[in-house]
Amino acid sequence: MTTAVQRPALVRSSDRMIAGVCSGLADHLGWPVKFVRLGMVLACFAGGAGVAFYAWLWTMVPTADESAKRNARRPASPIAPAVSLPPTAAAPAQASTAYDAGPSPAVHGGPPAAGASGGQESGSSSRAGSASGFDATSADDSWGGSALSPWFSFRKIQYGKEILLGAALLLVAALLIARQFGVDVPLGTLIPAAAILGGAAIAWMQLDETRRAGLVDKTKADQAGGWVRLAAGLALVVAGVLVMVSGSGSWEQTWLALLASVAVLGGVALVLLPWGLKFWKDLETERAGRVRETERAEIAAHLHDSVLQTLALIQRRAGSEQDVVRLARAQERELRAWLFSDAARESGLLADRIKSVAAEVEDSHGHAVEVVTVGDTEMTDRHEALVQAAREAMVNAARHGGGTVSVYLESTAGSTEIFIKDRGPGFDLDAVPDDRLGVKESIIGRMKRHGGTAAITSSSDGTEVRLTLPSASVDAGDQRNNDVRNGEAKQ
Amino acid sequence: MNTNPDSGTGRRVPVVIVDDHTIFRSGLKADLDERMDVVGEAGTVEQAIAVIAESRPEVVLLDVHLPGGLGGGGREVIAGSSALLGTTSFLALSVSDAAEDVVSVIRAGARGYVTKTISGKEISDAVIRVADGDAVFSPRLAGFVLDAFGTAPADIADDELDKLSARELEVMRLIARGYSYKEVAKELFISIKTVETHVSAVLRKLQLSSRHELTKWAAERRLL
Repeated sequence: MTTAVQRPALVRSSDRMIAGVCSGLADHLGWPVKFVRLGMVLACFAGGAGVAFYAWLWTMVPTADESAKRNARRPASPIAPAVSLPPTAAAPAQASTAYDAGPSPAVHGGPPAAGASGGQESGSSSRAGSASGFDATSADDSWGGSALSPWFSFRKIQYGKEILLGAALLLVAALLIARQFGVDVPLGTLIPAAAILGGAAIAWMQLDETRRAGLVDKTKADQAGGWVRLAAGLALVVAGVLVMVSGSGSWEQTWLALLASVAVLGGVALVLLPWGLKFWKDLETERAGRVRETERAEIAAHLHDSVLQTLALIQRRAGSEQDVVRLARAQERELRAWLFSDAARESGLLADRIKSVAAEVEDSHGHAVEVVTVGDTEMTDRHEALVQAAREAMVNAARHGGGTVSVYLESTAGSTEIFIKDRGPGFDLDAVPDDRLGVKESIIGRMKRHGGTAAITSSSDGTEVRLTLPSASVDAGDQRNNDVRNGEAKQ
Repeated sequence: MNTNPDSGTGRRVPVVIVDDHTIFRSGLKADLDERMDVVGEAGTVEQAIAVIAESRPEVVLLDVHLPGGLGGGGREVIAGSSALLGTTSFLALSVSDAAEDVVSVIRAGARGYVTKTISGKEISDAVIRVADGDAVFSPRLAGFVLDAFGTAPADIADDELDKLSARELEVMRLIARGYSYKEVAKELFISIKTVETHVSAVLRKLQLSSRHELTKWAAERRLL
């Protein structure tokens, strides 16, 4: 029993001779592939048992790809991170081999309405056992759904199918044995009937899978294998019906019957076409609805984690204006970033870096820092120094200045400039003692060391720090010219 | 600081506030000082067009994102009130800093654009400025203009609508750096009126320029 827990899932391997059944089985059981294959071949001579077993596993066992796809879908759930935990730890030892064959895509005749996660869960790896079931229900419950009871009925039906299949096989065996003992079995009727049943079963399995897959995963719906299976089921049913109706008569009769039935089918198709189209449209609508639902769940989860928490915090801190402003600003920034930026913009660009530094200063000092950027450039070590100098200037502005701190970044081919302006009372740069590292060292000295300049203008209206960093290609001469032309170096 | 003779004589500027959030409308109403008079409010595109046509305000404070109409929001309100554009000015308000929103509403005919986090004093000054026929540029809007038109001054040969003059660039840069109009005037040794003229000229270029890069640029910068 304990070994069952550690076994890899029973899936059809991609390392295949025919359908990957044997190597999948070998992986699952931990036996050498050769022996499994040999055993299978030998079993084929035992009255074709090997063929039947192989065919059965072929139909019932998902391929490795399918299985992985289903498993991969589960952690995508934005609302219940717990769902994405591997179920192995909690998997009970009840995962017997009989159960292992269970979760094939075909077995779920249960209500497809059991909910997205329910449907996905039950299609997941065979070892998931009741652990995955638990996950599914907890995820659903957290959203107010009561998936518990549908899911259990789902399980019952799943076993019911197994039993049904076993019973059918037993019946066949009994019939064959009865024939051996000389009982007259009307095989002429039974074989077409069995063909009809089998074909119908295949077709229904197919329909079930297509529907479920269609709701969950668009790419599955147009898999060629599905059509082949549908066609096979159809052919079996038609052949069975024909043989049955024509009473296993001559070819001519069968042929006529075939023509007639094709005509009837055509007529029926013509009548049912609008209905079929409507069904397809409904399916599309439902699919779109599900996508929307997922999106909404993601948004709800995000708002819950961010905005609602902040609002609660703001209510508790309503007394402190500064705290409220800081919380509101931080939340606004976070929400904006989430709404309007995509991952591709997480690049090492200067504007983003300046914005994040400004956000940091804003958070730690509770002063609004407005950033306006024009143009952008790649970050380099020199630009990092520029950012650090700008950060120091912002900290100073937030600490000593009043009101909003304005930061303006302009990046052109020739140089990068950053302006940091506050509306504080201003200060006299010459009066700043030499041991105060803030301005002299962190801003002016740092810019000089990296080939840039820093200029500080201060009056009673406020202070403006201007940082200029020429592009690496521009040589020192141009840089000096820049300074002269700009004419604002009032150090 | 404003040279508006009207505000001195106690005449109050009639204002209509268009915003779908009642809380925001009442907050804004409380923020506006005694120089202006709220003569109407609206919460949807249809209401806004009707209220504006009926009350003929001098200034409309217009939210960019509005329900109703064809989904065009503030832009649609301006388009629907185009007959009044000579007498009524629109000042766009938004929580959004997205360049696309800003540029589209300015190009529809708004005289300025401010974000909703603006303080009560600033919004009152902005309303008066718009009522005087001037344009209101926030640092961010100036940044957008610089980004869209480029930071190189226009040559004389260029189509003047597609580029900013050297002086206009200077003004825009200072505004982007957080300077008030007064500070810009002081910095450049020009009068406030001249600053306002430059800003209005930039606004006109922003509205009239057929540069297709402008639209393309705005679309690209939807993600701020």
